[in-house]
Amino acid sequence: MDMLITIAVIVVKITCIYGGMIVIAALTTLAERKVSAWIQFRHGPNRVGPWGILQPLADGVKFIFKEELVPDSANKWMFRMAPALSAMPAMMGVAVIPFAAESPLYKDSGPLAIADLDIGVLYVLAFSGLSIYGIILGGWASNSKFSLLGAIRASAQMVSYELAMILSIMAIVVMSGSFNMTEIASLQAGPLWNWNIFSQPVAFMLFLIATFAETNRHPFDFAECEPELVGGFHTEYSSMRFALFFLGEYCAIFVMCCMTVVFFLGGFEVPFWEDAPWFIQVGAMVSKVVAFLFLFIWVRWTIPRFRFDQLMGLGWKVFLPVALVNLLITGGLVSAGIL
Amino acid sequence: MVIVKRKELSLSERLYLPEIFRGMSMTFRAMFKPAVTRQYPEEPLPTDEVTRGQPRLATNDEDGSIRCVSCGLCEAACPAYAITIDGQDTDRNAITIAGDVTEKFIEREPKEFEIDMLRCILCGFCEEACPKDAIFMSDELELADFTRKDLIYGLDKLKRPVSTLRPRIDYIYKVNERWQASSSTR
Repeated sequence: MDMLITIAVIVVKITCIYGGMIVIAALTTLAERKVSAWIQFRHGPNRVGPWGILQPLADGVKFIFKEELVPDSANKWMFRMAPALSAMPAMMGVAVIPFAAESPLYKDSGPLAIADLDIGVLYVLAFSGLSIYGIILGGWASNSKFSLLGAIRASAQMVSYELAMILSIMAIVVMSGSFNMTEIASLQAGPLWNWNIFSQPVAFMLFLIATFAETNRHPFDFAECEPELVGGFHTEYSSMRFALFFLGEYCAIFVMCCMTVVFFLGGFEVPFWEDAPWFIQVGAMVSKVVAFLFLFIWVRWTIPRFRFDQLMGLGWKVFLPVALVNLLITGGLVSAGIL
Repeated sequence: MVIVKRKELSLSERLYLPEIFRGMSMTFRAMFKPAVTRQYPEEPLPTDEVTRGQPRLATNDEDGSIRCVSCGLCEAACPAYAITIDGQDTDRNAITIAGDVTEKFIEREPKEFEIDMLRCILCGFCEEACPKDAIFMSDELELADFTRKDLIYGLDKLKRPVSTLRPRIDYIYKVNERWQASSSTR
């Protein structure tokens, strides 16, 4: 009986969290177009449903009815597999993100996360690292120079940024003494200044900038880079395969925003209110994440794209040393018992 | 050889981040400014008497009779050969006293007056050629239909009461007056 309840609880959690993530990812595409419109003195989509709220649905229907083209010279098997390989890891990452300290479904079922892993940080980093394979495979299998260039850029960018990103998180891990996402979030409970953003501003900035590179967003979207590479790695893709790349990208953004919130903004904790009820905590988590999603969109429509060598230089020559020094100082302070 | 003098960047500009925040504050403020896009079908294009829309035939307000006498001048003036007129006799202006026709005043009126709106280039030559103030460029701009045949406008689609065209007529008279004024060459 206990077994059954546990399975039922997990199924309900998976349904709710994944459903919520897909809905938020779809609404992000709408928000992207709305916010970009506002920034450029336009209206944005406003024809489908009230306030254009059904636009993602209309886009989805459109994608389904589009013809699926596979280039003659493409490696068919990998070409078909790449979008799934890109979207799946992006969606897997959300499994360890805690949305509340207590699950409302069943007593003692732990935090409201699909899996409360003790190595949650490593898990989510590993999966966000895996998502690059989909892009590389998609770019290579298309047999197009634009796709290949996009894929190569994506992988080079990945290597130079992943390192700084992980080292900046390590500072948080050293401070919290845990790889568990829920624990990292819980340690930031209490007053506002308990949030890690105040004790680790450098790590926060590094991580934030690295997430932009990690999710291939402006100003680091070299993998797509419309003016130079047509569409980058997804130049040859159409229909639902393209939609899957797209969905994966937005899910990755959602997961990255969740990570930023958990690591630096107290996750599900409400400032000055410890042990808030679960729905308040979920609300706090989601509103923080939505604020970061807005930041992602806002930055995209503000900052022009970097040059590729500037990104590499920034990653290796600035961010890596800064992250290392930050980690060194944090480690020193922690072992001295100050932090 | 031209030596371009580059602007020396200040420290905050070289650090890049302060400039990013400046740019972001600019885009954030832009978000609350009103949109400049016109929502077209709901918000139609603004028109006034200068608007040179599609040509329309004026009808008298009193009896709804058409002013056109099918003289064919507009047909001749039309550079796009869009106008086709087929005329006939009419006694519409007969002078009557106590219901009896005292003097039959024969005039002509168009039996068919077709403007092929697919050919019309909205130049307004017909309006200038017309000696009877019968054809004017209206402020109607929208032109869309499902078949080409429906876009060849006949009398039924072209007639407009002269009062609706009044601003345009007054404008044309005003413009013509300017040419009639004495000039240095005369």
